[in-house]
Amino acid sequence: MISQFWVDYLVSVLTEGAIFGIAALGLNVIWGWAGDFDLAFYGYVALGAYMTIVLTVGQPIPPSQYIIGLQLPYPVAIVGAIAASSLLGLVIGLIALRNLRGIYFSIVALGAVYVLYVITSQYVPLFNGYNGVFGLFNPLGAELNISFTDYPYYFLFFCLIVIALVFLFMARVSESRFGLVLRSLREDERAAAAFGRNIYALKLKAYVLGAAVGGLAGSLLAAYLTAFNPSAWAPLEVVILYSAVLVGGKGNIRGVLLGVFVIFILVQESTRFLPDVPGQPNVVPSLRLITIGLVLVLFLYFRPQGLIPEGRRRYHMPGPQAEPSASGDAKLQAASGSLVQAPGVEAMAASAVGPSAGAATITATSARATPAQSAVAPDSLPDILVVDGLTKRFGGLTAVDNCSFRVPEGQVTGLIGPNGAGKSTAIDLISGFKLPDGGTVTFSGANITALPPHRIARRGLIRTFQTPREWPGLTVLENVLLAKFEPDQETLFRGLIGPGLGHRSIAERDLARAREILAEFGLTTLANERAGNLSGGQKRLVEFARIRMAQPKLVILDEPMGGVNPVLGERMAEAIAGFVRAGTTVVVVEHNLPFIERVANQVVVMAQGAVIASGPFEVLRSNQTVIDAYLGNEVGV
Amino acid sequence: MHEIFVTLGFGIVSAAILSLSAVAFTLEYAVTNVANLAHGEILTVGAYAAYVVQRSTGNILLSALAAAGAGGLLALGMQVLVIDRFVRSRAGSLLTFVATVGIAFILENILVIIFGAANVAYTIPQSAPMQIGPFLWTSTELQIILSALAITAALYVIITFTKFGKALRAVFQNRELARVTGINSQFVAAATWFLAGLVAGYAGFVLAESVGTFTPYFGFSFFLITLTATVAGGLGKPFSTMAGAVIVGLALVFAAAYISSSYNLAFAFAILTVVVLVRPRGLFTKPGRSMFE
Repeated sequence: MISQFWVDYLVSVLTEGAIFGIAALGLNVIWGWAGDFDLAFYGYVALGAYMTIVLTVGQPIPPSQYIIGLQLPYPVAIVGAIAASSLLGLVIGLIALRNLRGIYFSIVALGAVYVLYVITSQYVPLFNGYNGVFGLFNPLGAELNISFTDYPYYFLFFCLIVIALVFLFMARVSESRFGLVLRSLREDERAAAAFGRNIYALKLKAYVLGAAVGGLAGSLLAAYLTAFNPSAWAPLEVVILYSAVLVGGKGNIRGVLLGVFVIFILVQESTRFLPDVPGQPNVVPSLRLITIGLVLVLFLYFRPQGLIPEGRRRYHMPGPQAEPSASGDAKLQAASGSLVQAPGVEAMAASAVGPSAGAATITATSARATPAQSAVAPDSLPDILVVDGLTKRFGGLTAVDNCSFRVPEGQVTGLIGPNGAGKSTAIDLISGFKLPDGGTVTFSGANITALPPHRIARRGLIRTFQTPREWPGLTVLENVLLAKFEPDQETLFRGLIGPGLGHRSIAERDLARAREILAEFGLTTLANERAGNLSGGQKRLVEFARIRMAQPKLVILDEPMGGVNPVLGERMAEAIAGFVRAGTTVVVVEHNLPFIERVANQVVVMAQGAVIASGPFEVLRSNQTVIDAYLGNEVGV
Repeated sequence: MHEIFVTLGFGIVSAAILSLSAVAFTLEYAVTNVANLAHGEILTVGAYAAYVVQRSTGNILLSALAAAGAGGLLALGMQVLVIDRFVRSRAGSLLTFVATVGIAFILENILVIIFGAANVAYTIPQSAPMQIGPFLWTSTELQIILSALAITAALYVIITFTKFGKALRAVFQNRELARVTGINSQFVAAATWFLAGLVAGYAGFVLAESVGTFTPYFGFSFFLITLTATVAGGLGKPFSTMAGAVIVGLALVFAAAYISSSYNLAFAFAILTVVVLVRPRGLFTKPGRSMFE
């Protein structure tokens, strides 16, 4: 026979657990998926609780003071609470997410919640200052004819239904393209922008969604506590919520719920039964909080991925090697094995031995044919990209100095120059990652100067980076899948209702295309591997596969051979030819001159921020200015 | 006119305290690239250490030394036992930052267990305010201003002229590069945190002197103002930070005097918001123009 005390206790623990579980699921959207460490989060829970109470109770009786007091039904108050928290999240997000990342974002979020705390406790007419608001007793209890003694069971049941609904909602988001895109921001923002994602808008969406769920948790909390005041939410309380999300496994909704169970139920409740120290009422609650702090720090150090880490989402891959085995090494070997068998590799390996040897090739009079040479003279082709007078200064240094060149459509243009010539800065300026001090960039006939990176990417100009910027925590297949910006498929709404055909969370058509491309690049066996585990060369292949998937009008490859075994050169050259066949114009920045000679129809040479020569490679080979720029006067004779 | 000088005099005292706290925070950041959210608790521990000594001996100088010593040891312990391990395990600065949130939480609650959550105060006899130039200052306020100037001068000498200061700056510029050129960056970081802890612990003592009463939570609320000053000046740059602290300190005192003192934190946050939106790298830098620059 279980005593009534234990039943009541169990009901209250489960109710609290469900409420904090909902809050933790909201925090997970912001921290687990979008990757923003939001110290303001508890403010949304608190605002939800305050709003629920002031919407459901009547006009204040002096000396109490608070706003609203409309005696609205509880369900309406819940909606109001969610709306208020979302709105506050929108305002704080608009400020803090604009150009702040990492600790700067956290600092501003912390400041925001602290100000909220100060205002609610000091400005009495808002929520009655330190005394807080109260009077929300058993909402809907009278209307539904629920007795006072039965009410806790009904309320627990209600909380469990709500958390189940929130969980299903989050499960849907987690598997959707929207969920994947959010994670790609967390994994590498620059790459996400380079493939057309509006980072600010997406982060804001995630932030408001999280805040809304926080508000929902707050409105349940208000009904459970019947009152709310500043001492119910010292801003550091959010640490408890953070510990829960972290211990369970951020990014994984099942993990988050487990974390809530561990922190809120195991740690909180087990310490509740410690004997009280006479005359020292603070000891036990403080010990409980110290335990939670210790759990947080120890987990951060020993197991930052949590008890149930965010799993890889595995997708079915056709073919005999479809199901990835446990032995990752064997797969990696198999993949590189297939590279060695690529045709023409030996010939390539003989010539491609790094930039120094490449520089020597310039002065030599080798008459090697350039296989990619087009029959059409470049002058007669329309220009897809026109760079005119582009200039960028960093303090006293002019990194790009009145730089002008043209890229004819349907060709491969090499952009070469010694280190420090301003090539990478020029790419940053063209692709919108840096703002120019002067000059214009015209792409496909439109002026794209100083547009943000995602807008430029959406117009069909995609760039890569000197170091491969894969999304390391996502799988190879997902890296390729997300390379294509699909505005209709990536919305939260789409994520909830599914892609349209069938019931899968990701459109089958996109998956099929990604699989096809992976097969083309010999990456099929690695499809379900995390991209971060790949070797440098394999990451480059993934990068190329992404370009294939994106099918841009123009791609700018920034040193694709950097840090890559020359043996891969043949495959890269073939891939570039493949881009051109598929209608993509290519600009390739590279120090490996034999590679440039092999793939490029014409070459633009930069030195000290400006273009010093351009034209077919063999013409430049004998150009004294180019030789001087590369080798200096004394050597380049 | 008289009223402005009274406010200004008080503002100078506030700015002096704030600049000590801010320079300590920025030094911690400079050598580890970690924003230490438990920085406020170093001040709190300093204040309580001085409280214990002041209660038993009544000596102000000993109290001040106890505050500095306790702060130094606490900061050193944090760095060696926690922060350095996180930095070496390449946990990433955000993860380490979260860990400092946990440390702050632990320290606050340890203080609650030892001292309780109620307000405590020193018993330091106050002299009548003295007229110095246009300002009116008590002896305690004079002690705060002069000691802040002395500490600033000492830090300036250490950072600018000593070999240790050179190593400190090298570690701030590039920890890896400093390491491969033979600088023991681990030692530099630990020594810098100890130094910062001394300053922060003392800042806690003078803050408590100036405010009058304190609780285990008082360092954390002052931390937000410290953050504002540091970000305004430029994270990781000791002397820009101090300049930022003077600006923010004076601005807050004038806002309190002419608008309301209840919303000091709100004013600090307003300044912080404007700064991070306009000059995220500090008031004394050029504004960044693109998010990726």
